[in-house]
Amino acid sequence: MPERQPAKEDPARANENWARDGQAEKRFRRLLDAAPDAILEVDGQGRIVLINQTAEKMFGYTRDELMGLNVETLVPASMRAGHVRHRTSYTAHPQMRPMGTGLELRAQRKDGSLFPVEISLSPNPGEEGGRVIALVRDITARKQVEDRLKAIQEQYTAELATKNQQLEARNLDVERANRLKSEFLASMSHELRTPLHTIIGFSELLTEELEGPLNDKQKRFIGHILQDSRHLLELINEILDLSKIEAGRLELQKEEMDFAGCLREVIAGIQHQAAAKNIQVDVRNEFNGTLYADRMRVKEILYNLLSNALKFTPDGGEVWVGAMVQAHELQVVVGDTGIGVHPQEHDTIFDKFYQVGSTTEGTREGTGLGLPITRKLVELHGGNIWLESSPGKGSRFSFTLPLPT
Amino acid sequence: MKRILIAEDKATSRELLRTVLQQQGYSVDEAEDGEEALRKITENPPDLILMDLQMPARNGYEVVSELRKDPRLAGVPIVAVTASAMQGDREKVLAAGFTSYLTKPLSLVQLRQEVTRLLENGA
Repeated sequence: MPERQPAKEDPARANENWARDGQAEKRFRRLLDAAPDAILEVDGQGRIVLINQTAEKMFGYTRDELMGLNVETLVPASMRAGHVRHRTSYTAHPQMRPMGTGLELRAQRKDGSLFPVEISLSPNPGEEGGRVIALVRDITARKQVEDRLKAIQEQYTAELATKNQQLEARNLDVERANRLKSEFLASMSHELRTPLHTIIGFSELLTEELEGPLNDKQKRFIGHILQDSRHLLELINEILDLSKIEAGRLELQKEEMDFAGCLREVIAGIQHQAAAKNIQVDVRNEFNGTLYADRMRVKEILYNLLSNALKFTPDGGEVWVGAMVQAHELQVVVGDTGIGVHPQEHDTIFDKFYQVGSTTEGTREGTGLGLPITRKLVELHGGNIWLESSPGKGSRFSFTLPLPT
Repeated sequence: MKRILIAEDKATSRELLRTVLQQQGYSVDEAEDGEEALRKITENPPDLILMDLQMPARNGYEVVSELRKDPRLAGVPIVAVTASAMQGDREKVLAAGFTSYLTKPLSLVQLRQEVTRLLENGA
């Protein structure tokens, strides 16, 4: 008889609510048990009054054993006294917070073994009062990963320290080798110059004919000896120079210097070479200021480029040198109407002992070290050097030198 | 006739210097090592000394520092002759008590000029 029931208290309906409440508690229980953390409720005296299943598994006790147990039983013996103190003060000022911030907390199982944990606390102000809920998380796996990472890191740090030590040792070796190389070159240069001294000296003496006249053939032969021994001397000097530069031993003697005067001296120095080829060196200098540079080395740069230009320019050709300030630098150009250089050779021409395939007829061979030294000297001053040229169109060597600030 | 002492261990180098200096009309004496140079110079002081820096027995630096202690030799010019071409050598040589410095290989022109400068001016 499906008649509508009156909306007043009905015993059957109350029963149904009861059943529902029981159902709800079961569901809450399952919810607690499903948590991956152990959940414990502890009363004001420190007795465990509520646990979930995870707590049983985590600590190795049965439910019956845990219920009513003093919570300090789960704390390592060495920490128990402290724990009682902290628990009392927590009860006085309850608030939700992690426990033992910054400490490495550990808990103790029934079998006495310890494991690392993270614990968060919340007060549970029920009618009983002073209860605290603790969520305990077993962080053994995370700690293992962390420890492993730390070990790897320490291993890397140790390896790095060893590598650094080896590197330092190797650096010392390199420095030592470099010093030995420089000393070797200095003494080699000395040993080579000593016999050259007498070869050149006696050749000069003979050409002076103070000890008696020479016939033309003898004069020519002695001329060859003299020329080649001077070439050898030049080579020795340049090798020594280059090795000093490469070993970082060549120190610039920088001073305030007058560029125009420096250029005039170099032009005077190559006048003989220019006149021999019937070339008038055209000077187009627009810079009359001072440089802060090594005067002798700046002269060497200019001399090397100009004498190269003369060497590769045929009789009656043109050689010029220009200088002007461009983009806060002094830019110097040495140009000629000589045989030129193929673009493929523009970089290699600055390499040691590199010589372009053909030179003009009758020019004396060079050492192949003039341009590498010139480039190093420019770079030591903080400048750049480059070449614009193509075969038959002459060459333009440009270099920059920083201006004093 | 002005007298020049050549202190040099290499015979060929001594002969080269001797020839040039004798052509100029100087009297030349020779020493083959530092000891001999020191003995000859103190026994009979020359007007000029040309001295190699690297010699057996006593090197040029040692000889010159001995010589400069002798007041009789204070005014005698001593020219260092060396094949070393390292930076800073000139300063080191002059600081040691040498009057001037020539590098090997010598240019004969330079050698003659230097000797003339030291012997004919103020002598």
